[in-house]
Amino acid sequence: MAEPLRLKAKSASPGIASGPAFLAERPGASPAPRTAGGYGALEKAIDISIGELERLAEGADAESRDIIDFQIEVLRDPTIAEATGARMEEDQNVVFAWVATLDAYIAELEAADEEQMRARAVDILDIKNRVLGALAGTPIADFPPGSIFVGKDMEPSRFLAHDWSKGGGIALFAGSTAGHVALLARAKSVPMVVGTGRFSAVEGDPVSVDGNAGAVVLKAGGMLIPPLAPAQAPAGDTQTESGELRTADGVPILISININDPAEIDALDPATAGVGLMRSEFSVTSLADAANEERQLAIYRRVLEQAGDRPVIIRMLDIGGDKPLAGLEDLPALDSGLRGIRLLLARPEIARVQARALLRAAVFGKLSVMLPMVTFPDEVDRMRELFREEAEKLGRRALLHRMPPIGMMVEVPAAALMLDTFGSAAFFSFGTNDLTQYLAASTRDDIDADADKAAPAVLRLIAQAVKLTAGKPVSICGDMAGDPSHLPGLLAAGLRHFSVAPARRPAIRSAITGLNADGTKAAGE
Amino acid sequence: MTSRLRIEKQEPDPLHVNCQTEVEVKHGVGLHARPSVTFTRLAKSFPCSIEVAVNGSDVWLNGKSIIKIMGARIRKGSILRIRADGILAEEAIRALKELIERNFDEEKKHGRTA
Repeated sequence: MAEPLRLKAKSASPGIASGPAFLAERPGASPAPRTAGGYGALEKAIDISIGELERLAEGADAESRDIIDFQIEVLRDPTIAEATGARMEEDQNVVFAWVATLDAYIAELEAADEEQMRARAVDILDIKNRVLGALAGTPIADFPPGSIFVGKDMEPSRFLAHDWSKGGGIALFAGSTAGHVALLARAKSVPMVVGTGRFSAVEGDPVSVDGNAGAVVLKAGGMLIPPLAPAQAPAGDTQTESGELRTADGVPILISININDPAEIDALDPATAGVGLMRSEFSVTSLADAANEERQLAIYRRVLEQAGDRPVIIRMLDIGGDKPLAGLEDLPALDSGLRGIRLLLARPEIARVQARALLRAAVFGKLSVMLPMVTFPDEVDRMRELFREEAEKLGRRALLHRMPPIGMMVEVPAAALMLDTFGSAAFFSFGTNDLTQYLAASTRDDIDADADKAAPAVLRLIAQAVKLTAGKPVSICGDMAGDPSHLPGLLAAGLRHFSVAPARRPAIRSAITGLNADGTKAAGE
Repeated sequence: MTSRLRIEKQEPDPLHVNCQTEVEVKHGVGLHARPSVTFTRLAKSFPCSIEVAVNGSDVWLNGKSIIKIMGARIRKGSILRIRADGILAEEAIRALKELIERNFDEEKKHGRTA
């Protein structure tokens, strides 16, 4: 019988995991559900919604049935098709055309003189969201908990939908250590390797992923795999910590965490200063969700309530470029390769929904909003104006809201060099992944190879930029902050607030206590 | 936002006709959600186009649209002009007029008000 086969790979997330192989079907065999495919997709979603409502109506009491009948009748209203079609001809995406049409009716009803009419607005809001839910489609098929995902690449939404509490790991034939799934895997301490090259495995075969050494071990034939240590559960911080963290020479340091979905905030223990970065594009993973104000509000509210009185920075959708959003392919803005705030400003219908959800969520905690990939000051000004407009509209509708501080990611070299000109940004946070890539002209795949060589240049740029912040809050949330070897340089650059993946926090915390504020090693270390 | 895209055709087709009527709404609270649903559902069961104008207005609303009908502020005492164009227009007008005169069959529905 064959020996276990050990394949060399690149480590994307540390740890060791063993389990039965789950073979992902090849990309293309099952395309990700597209949320927007012209009017046909909307028609289908409306049909699905009508079917759901008809099932609800069975067995409902007369009062509820009246409401459901009304909702079905609205879904069958011929003028909705006309109005939505007209908006689509004005180059609106079908999802946002739907939202705009229904929002117009809702606004009309909310403005009615009679209470009975106003009360109907919520019924229409409900069907608006029901159809958006149907448009979002059925989630991608999950795989058994505890198994090792084997495939060419992995969709972030699939990672997020999966239950990782039973262990398991990821082995990708291709993939990148800078990819978004790698980022998620590091945050959740899921062992992961990439670049194994294509290998044959049988579904259910025991496989081990060694994210420490960078290897995949396949059981070939009937041989047993040499027992490997079980995947280490993320230890969190078992040792008691005082809430306050200081460098060896007594300078206070804040450590926040980066999260991708509300579930991760459970890792927010008392020693954490707050959420330094919530990447909203991982919670809002389809165009239908991006159009769904209520759903977004529920997500942000949950994070803020979990965080209690600690600050939470939610970054607006950083989509476009290599960051996917199902259905976004249909947005014309994407053709030009726009991403970050430029995409949001080019497609304000996306930004406006998120702005409203954030404004409304802000009353539930200490929210700040961060803008992604800002290059020029007017981009911040324009987004602030958009927030003001939406706040005014919410005010007219008597919906509770609060204007959050609006700050920016510093991840484009041109912005970092000119930080003193960003008068309207309330705070700054360095994103080192993109900063490194754009500073070193690296390709997305070469980032890892270049990162160490580029680090001195990145650190010098950060040190200069920190001097230009005019006393505004400044932090760092990029991968560099989670690497203890860069801590001396980052401290020397003047940074005092680090936001890192929850799994990286203990290491950074202990490293800081051994360093002085100027980045030098404490005596006796 | 009213759309009147159709072209009047007066062909010698016995099924394809123009038809119009006028009727007063006697329902206590006018045309709120439930009566509106009853009305637009019935209107949709006919292939002809159906339009409604309220109290002498020259704005003709799509009679198959719950949103338009509900938004028309039809009250007790409102005069509705209903016109239909196309196949079964006559039958449609008769059925809708009767529905209004029967008070939208509200009495049969648990005697509640909308």
